[in-house]
Amino acid sequence: MAAADSPSAALRRRDLCSRGIRLAGKMRVDVIDLLDAYVERQGLDVSSLDSSVAAVEGVPLAAVERWDEQTGTQRLLENLAAYRAFRALLAQMLEEQREQLGEADAGLGRALASVLLQVSAFTYHLEELLRLESRGEGEEEEDRPAPPPRLSIFEQKLRGLGVLRELAQWAVRSARDLRQLSKPSPATGTAAGLAESP
Amino acid sequence: CHLPAGSVWCVGLVCVPPQVSWIRDCPIQYEKVGADVTMKCGSMDWDAAVTWTVNGTDINESLLNGSYLILKNVNLSQSGQYACYEGSSWHLKYQTYLRVGMPPKEPVLMCRSNNYPKGFYCSWHLPTPTYIPNTFNISVIHGTKDMVCERDAIPKNRCHIRYLQLFSTVKYKVTLTVTNALGRNSTTLTFDEFAIVKPDPPESVVAKPVPNNPRRLEVSWQNPSSWPDPESFPLKFFLRYRPLILDQWQHVELSDGTSHTITDAYAGKEYIIQVAAKDNDIGTWSDWSVAVHAHPWTEEPKHLNHGETTSASTSSFMAPPTTKICDKGAVVGSGAVAVCWTAGLVVAAYSVLFI
Repeated sequence: MAAADSPSAALRRRDLCSRGIRLAGKMRVDVIDLLDAYVERQGLDVSSLDSSVAAVEGVPLAAVERWDEQTGTQRLLENLAAYRAFRALLAQMLEEQREQLGEADAGLGRALASVLLQVSAFTYHLEELLRLESRGEGEEEEDRPAPPPRLSIFEQKLRGLGVLRELAQWAVRSARDLRQLSKPSPATGTAAGLAESP
Repeated sequence: CHLPAGSVWCVGLVCVPPQVSWIRDCPIQYEKVGADVTMKCGSMDWDAAVTWTVNGTDINESLLNGSYLILKNVNLSQSGQYACYEGSSWHLKYQTYLRVGMPPKEPVLMCRSNNYPKGFYCSWHLPTPTYIPNTFNISVIHGTKDMVCERDAIPKNRCHIRYLQLFSTVKYKVTLTVTNALGRNSTTLTFDEFAIVKPDPPESVVAKPVPNNPRRLEVSWQNPSSWPDPESFPLKFFLRYRPLILDQWQHVELSDGTSHTITDAYAGKEYIIQVAAKDNDIGTWSDWSVAVHAHPWTEEPKHLNHGETTSASTSSFMAPPTTKICDKGAVVGSGAVAVCWTAGLVVAAYSVLFI
């Protein structure tokens, strides 16, 4: 077993997990607030848009089958891929927001920027956790995805709604993933999940 | 016992096929409360002499129109077995069970996950009785996928769904249709995975006095046993407590652990304590746990002899049980009362409590 089994690595992992759980919790609260503000400011009728927002292209879905059977590495890699995508999507949203509203709605822009910052911090946490595994998987950020096609303003709003909804869902999933990761393994005293990684 | 083929039932000028099912070769005729019912005596002519009975008792001829039996504005008490006999031969010509009832109103449907992330259940009932058999059909759709809702043997008005996906933003749509011989109705619920998460109340709530601390009570409890994975899906808790003699609750929200020490109890007062649970991030609060009662620690009155005492009252003016006298530090369960067995005087009679 790699460095993942040393007591200091186990401690470090547990610390990263518990801080990650707190970050995810805060992020969810902030994203829910932002979602409410976003819907209001953009003048969206959420109930009539449910089906259109269900799956917005390029937005990573938090929905997962057989969640309890996932390995630790799988959890980290899926989380990392999702938050990297959210980082790009939120940056794009922020840019579009500035183009559309300028300084007219600085509050919404600030809230978006704050969530973007939290997503970046969370991504860093996930990278650290993966590094602790010393397996090199997913450590390097993949090539940045191609910029999304130019959308109409309504489509931008719709995508923004989809991004925030899915991010709120991911924040819950991530906290649960990290709790799974920080469960002590009965045999080694290390975190469960990581040891069982393929 | 038979129903003539092609027979129809007429109310006023409107003739409709009867709502009929069969029991032991005899038709059951369902009619709505308040309906006018006309029964024909099998193939007998209108002017034939016949006798009608209900549950074996002759029916007054004033209810007949020729050989037809006319029941106006039927009510529930008119349900029963109706039979018609040919006048001279007393041959049975027709027999039916009349069941008077109501079409179903919109059913009440509720879905809830008390064992997240395993699944959820839906249960239902009718707001008013129909007095006749109903069948319930439930369909659960997640996005475009049909899901299986496994029915319980008991209670029959509940079924369980296992989550195929977790953390999904796609809504669940549950449709319940109720059908009986007189009509059908349905209701649909649409909800998010997270919105229906509601744990059962915490269990084994225990409140103990803290020795030498007249203002403290130590409260502990356990996660609801139906909550399958509290480690990955931790619960937070809400504690409420009040002295029995006051209406105002004090509240404390606790995100860690399954115990709490109340530090601002009124000395000597009996307290009532309840706990509720909620998933850390999602869903709604559980119902309150079963109430437990407890007194903070009180100094044993020195002027009393230790005599045999029996105290089983919840009155706040009775002396609270001390750990020494009662040898019972904890009080568990709903409305539990400490019963103290010592020899001698009734302690309560000498106790005056101050807030």
